[in-house]
Amino acid sequence: MTFFLQMMVVGLMVGAVYALMAMAVVVIYKSSSIFNFAHGSLVALSAFLMWSLIVEFGLPLAAALPIYVITLFLIGFLIQRLIIQPLTGQPHLAAIIATIALGDVFSGFIILMWPSPGRILPSIVPSSTFNLSGVVMSSESLVNFLISGLAFVAFFIFFQKTKIGLAMRGTAEDHALAQSEGINVSWIFVVSWVVAIYMAAIGGILMSSLYGVNLDPLHGLGMKSLAVVILGGLESITGAIIAGMIIGLAESIGAGYLDPYVGGGLNDVIPFLIILIVLIIRPYGLFGYERIERM
Amino acid sequence: MLKKPCGTFDETYEKDTSLIRTPFRWTMLILFFVIMFFVFPFVADNYFLDVANNIGITVIAVVGLQILTGYTGLISLGHAAFMAVGAYTSSMLSAHLGWPVWVTMPLAMASSGLLGLLVAIPALRIRGFYIAVSTIAFHYIIIWLILHGGDLTMGTSGLTANEIAVGDFVFDNEFKMYYLIMAINIIIIFFACNMIRTKFGRAMIAVRDNDLAAEFMGINVFRTKILAFFISSICAGIAGVLLAHYQGLIILEQFTLMDSIWMLGMLIIGGPTIIGAIFGAIFLRVLAQIVLFMAPAIGDVFPAFSGSAVGAFTLIFFGVVIILFLVYEPRGMAHRWQIILSTFRLWPFKTPLG
Repeated sequence: MTFFLQMMVVGLMVGAVYALMAMAVVVIYKSSSIFNFAHGSLVALSAFLMWSLIVEFGLPLAAALPIYVITLFLIGFLIQRLIIQPLTGQPHLAAIIATIALGDVFSGFIILMWPSPGRILPSIVPSSTFNLSGVVMSSESLVNFLISGLAFVAFFIFFQKTKIGLAMRGTAEDHALAQSEGINVSWIFVVSWVVAIYMAAIGGILMSSLYGVNLDPLHGLGMKSLAVVILGGLESITGAIIAGMIIGLAESIGAGYLDPYVGGGLNDVIPFLIILIVLIIRPYGLFGYERIERM
Repeated sequence: MLKKPCGTFDETYEKDTSLIRTPFRWTMLILFFVIMFFVFPFVADNYFLDVANNIGITVIAVVGLQILTGYTGLISLGHAAFMAVGAYTSSMLSAHLGWPVWVTMPLAMASSGLLGLLVAIPALRIRGFYIAVSTIAFHYIIIWLILHGGDLTMGTSGLTANEIAVGDFVFDNEFKMYYLIMAINIIIIFFACNMIRTKFGRAMIAVRDNDLAAEFMGINVFRTKILAFFISSICAGIAGVLLAHYQGLIILEQFTLMDSIWMLGMLIIGGPTIIGAIFGAIFLRVLAQIVLFMAPAIGDVFPAFSGSAVGAFTLIFFGVVIILFLVYEPRGMAHRWQIILSTFRLWPFKTPLG
């Protein structure tokens, strides 16, 4: 029982960060129906940028944050204006392949700029573990959980209360209608990319406290948010949050119980098994818009 | 694709259905074959033959992907995994049981074909982007299975594959493999070019353009999609078998998601025809060789561009090439070629393409 609880706690903590990263994909998909396959690389890139600012250049957090925020804004702006905007009117698959290629470019850039492995971000809290009647929690994962929770609340308020958040939701519903209400739709596309990159960045920084600042694990985490998005439904932010938790739980519980029998590494495939099952049974996910398609 | 030059008319049914239309094209094709089989292998050294063999293997896989993606409109990001299944089936049978390759190759084709059928099952209910996602999922699952296959697949350390032998004749060097690979290439390209003109091929194009309308026309959409996956993954399986037995050792790092993405990139660069796929594959592979060739020179000038930086540089380079093609010439090199042809044909007037 303790083992089960332990696995549940681990799963929930990881799942919260998955959910945050998956929200980034949903935000872009909702506004422009483009699935962002460069997400994994963006997660990694944002963590590496943070590392450079804090460790390499030794800036204090207060000085590093504004630079970081502006850099990420520029990245999002340039991606949308240089690559996604010119592809408007072409099939969505063209834009999707463009994001895949973009992911390659970022991965290559990371290998080029930060070649040797073994980077770690200084953690905000001293590393320690709590023991609640047998269930062990590390302070890092607890902080991750709390920060993701805060980020959820912040983004929720952003989408519910602020003018630009409402404009984004309006754009997601209908481009022409949003345009006629005076919303600058092409600017909203830029904003959705920027917001998505901020979400990816928070996820990347949080995850690098567990995995270190390395390309492969961070990139892999980005790919896992694919599973989260498919399970939750492509259009639903609530779905992303719930599915993130489910995937985190399934991964840690499944791997915890089955790993000894199959020789490890199960938590890398469980999300993809879930993708397949969801696609066969309920392709639109838990909370996505149900489109009737009979073949 | 089948545009004819001015003044060429089809007078008989045979002429109307022929793949190669004009005497000029026949001359060019025969000239090309003569160069390919009787000049190039005798002139080139082992390095160039090796490059040509690798290009040939890629062309087989990419033509298969073109049938699936270009003609049926189903994006597959799991093609590297199909190749891996073919390669590992054949190598496992030949390494553990000692079977000759001409026995294991059909079995490997069958296994990757069956896997293709399995991957196509989710296509019963989904389309477009979702199919791409399901192939990615299959990719990760297959790679994981191979990685944890124990002594059967030799996981991380790599599996040795025997050389291809028919009786006493062993394909043991680049020269002999060149002929084998090119012969298989010609068979597959001929098959593919003809298949897309049959009833089934036109059904695939109809499914790509509008699957609902295709269904109304009486096309069995699901069967078409499944068969497209089947044929495409068989091609990938053949490519995998050839790759495994050509290199003599297969390791899992040869079959990454990146390779699948590259193959898609080749299709984009080449354009939406079989010939386009061939050109795209050759173009990207030759470009990769040039980058590899230039790398030491670049490394001398900029010390930062050495070692692992070469791989990173290639990644960036190809990502940028694919994006540029998508933005500026989404119809690929095949379209550029048509523009060039019609520019010559219509000179001194401007071409309406372009």
